[in-house]
Amino acid sequence: MAKLVGSFAASHAPNIARSWDTMKDETREWLTTRYDELGKRVKALEPDVLVIHSNDHWINFFLENMPAFLIGVGEEHDGPPEPFMQPIFKGCTFPGHPALGSHLLEYAMDADFDPAYSHRIKVDHGIGIPLWRMGFDTLPPVVPVFLNLMEEPFPTPKRCLAWGHMIRDAIEAYPEDLRVVVMGTGGMSHSIGETTQGWIDEPFDHACMELFKTASDEKIAFELARMLKETGNGGAEVRSWSIAHGAAGGKGFEMIDYIPMPETLIGCGLAEWKFAA
Amino acid sequence: MTDYWANKLVFELQGPDGKDQWTNHRADVIARYPLSPEIRQAFLDDDIGTLLPVINPYLMRFFLLMLGYDDAKSMAVLESFQTEEERKRVNG
Repeated sequence: MAKLVGSFAASHAPNIARSWDTMKDETREWLTTRYDELGKRVKALEPDVLVIHSNDHWINFFLENMPAFLIGVGEEHDGPPEPFMQPIFKGCTFPGHPALGSHLLEYAMDADFDPAYSHRIKVDHGIGIPLWRMGFDTLPPVVPVFLNLMEEPFPTPKRCLAWGHMIRDAIEAYPEDLRVVVMGTGGMSHSIGETTQGWIDEPFDHACMELFKTASDEKIAFELARMLKETGNGGAEVRSWSIAHGAAGGKGFEMIDYIPMPETLIGCGLAEWKFAA
Repeated sequence: MTDYWANKLVFELQGPDGKDQWTNHRADVIARYPLSPEIRQAFLDDDIGTLLPVINPYLMRFFLLMLGYDDAKSMAVLESFQTEEERKRVNG
């Protein structure tokens, strides 16, 4: 049977790639050491597959068709098409795991989640930046899972936590022996393309960390739904962290590090949910 | 209120020749979309204040970058439309 061996979260701001060569040395150093640490922890778990949750950024979907959740079930996925990602991933494709992806899809349907699916999806910077910075010699197959955080209404934090629990159950119901790592990417606080662009809401970020460390699912769902109305729009991406939290069974949260990072416009955070040995 | 066609225009500018199209053929690009007269004029005039309520924020972010605004200029332009309530929220 497959086993969920780890759950992680990490930020994915475009400026990490866009400004990599021009950002302050101390910013680049912080990003390098922290994402290296994230990569070290993930690689130590020897995952056979990564199930990575992120939001699309107007790459795959537009207002004609906006799935709340979508699972990439393809043999491979197209690499990030954004111009600022081309120096890193130009012409790349990412290996998929169609058997696990299809299993997650069917399990989700049986569990009344009704996600959309894609046999050929573009993996944008939301997934590309953490994978780039973690520095895999050989990238394990990736099952990308997208949630709509671009145009409201979004899946509720309660639904995202439930999705995380379901994903764990689905992974552990997969008959093949696979070691699977779940990730949620995005956040922490930021404000994009609105009048408060550049606002990094540190109290929001610290409140989220405290919730993941100590609170029940019910409390997290209630507080996040309340807090997200008062922070910048990019804070919505903390829903991906909720998924990682749900997948971890709601325990073991440990921040790898956090810093408000104006150069990338985000509260930049990375976290692991430690699993009991 | 989401304006489908205004967002569609910006969304499609993300293509590889989007910046060139907007810089050199703006009127032709705008003519492809059934925009209201007010929104059409706002695109012609770089009238961000009119576009802001109807364009998705992430597309607005892209649009400002495409216009050549760096982060500092984008923030300054957007901040000029802040309400008092938003100002208080950001400043604590």
